[in-house]
Amino acid sequence: VEVDMQAHAESIRTVFNDPTNFNVKHPLYSPWALWFDSPATKGRNLPQTPMSSFPQTPLPQTPSVAAAGWMEDIKKVIGFDSVEEFWGLYNNIIKPSELPPKANYYLFKEGIIPAWEDEANKNGGKWSIQLPKDKNRHKIDDLWLNTMLAAIGETFDPALTEAESEDSVPRSLITGVIVSTRPQFYRISIWTRSAPGQDDEDMRKRIEAIGRHFKTAVLGYPESQKLSGPLATEVEFLSHKDSEKKGKQAKKPIVV
Amino acid sequence: SSTRNQPISQPLPSALATARIIEDLGSVSYPRGIKSPKVELNVNAKHGKFRYDRDFLMQFMKICKDKPDNLPPLDAIGLEPSEQGTGIPM
Repeated sequence: VEVDMQAHAESIRTVFNDPTNFNVKHPLYSPWALWFDSPATKGRNLPQTPMSSFPQTPLPQTPSVAAAGWMEDIKKVIGFDSVEEFWGLYNNIIKPSELPPKANYYLFKEGIIPAWEDEANKNGGKWSIQLPKDKNRHKIDDLWLNTMLAAIGETFDPALTEAESEDSVPRSLITGVIVSTRPQFYRISIWTRSAPGQDDEDMRKRIEAIGRHFKTAVLGYPESQKLSGPLATEVEFLSHKDSEKKGKQAKKPIVV
Repeated sequence: SSTRNQPISQPLPSALATARIIEDLGSVSYPRGIKSPKVELNVNAKHGKFRYDRDFLMQFMKICKDKPDNLPPLDAIGLEPSEQGTGIPM
């Protein structure tokens, strides 16, 4: 038995057992891709993101001129599908606090374009929070890291835990997460595949649970804390369709 | 110091590139002091579809430092650190 145990231990070496000669890695629930844009990616002669990198979700059939231009400006940095690869990327890329203003990181599931036009996003919406830059410059890197870890660890959507059996596990609602830097604030967003309709109580509960997890476990605020203030918002959800409506048609966001 | 064990021009295939995917989390035993992924996140886990809590994931931060083979040079995609300093008022 002792010999068997030893053979077994030798057959599986994680990065914790042997950081240079590990032979297994931890697969992620879904493969992911990191995208980036900033004023520096616009109008420069940079290598284009190959269209072959998102075969399942072609560009919208009639993209607006603006959308087409935007797709040329956004750069796919890398794809990855294991915990070990995520950290190799994280440890070799610059952090949100070091980005120029008007830059965005988009971490989306592989095959989903980080735009609301994508099939996976068009019926969905986003949780987001806006944070004033001066008070959060020292915190934004950790908040973004926590957001990415909840995304790749697939812990945002409680319905995945509550399922009663392997076969009743629903499809994850999360499609991607974004951090945006602007001259005076940061914004972090969680994009979902669906948004609650008028009388869709079940979806509303599921979406709200994601928002509460984002506010408390990921961002670290007490559930009851009010967050809005100068340049700051609550943690709020709007469907992409409602985000389009302005003025009298404007919809109130869900707030947690 | 300029002494190195391996010439930079001939990297070995990385362990990352050759490691295989864990198919059964239960088959892995971690060294003492390393936390396993939270069991309750994976009670319904399908083959290779695992969920990981933050405490588990954070343990990799100080270990997995190698630059991915397929990471493009960051300046080539316009991804460069900026001197933010005091920030520019709008």
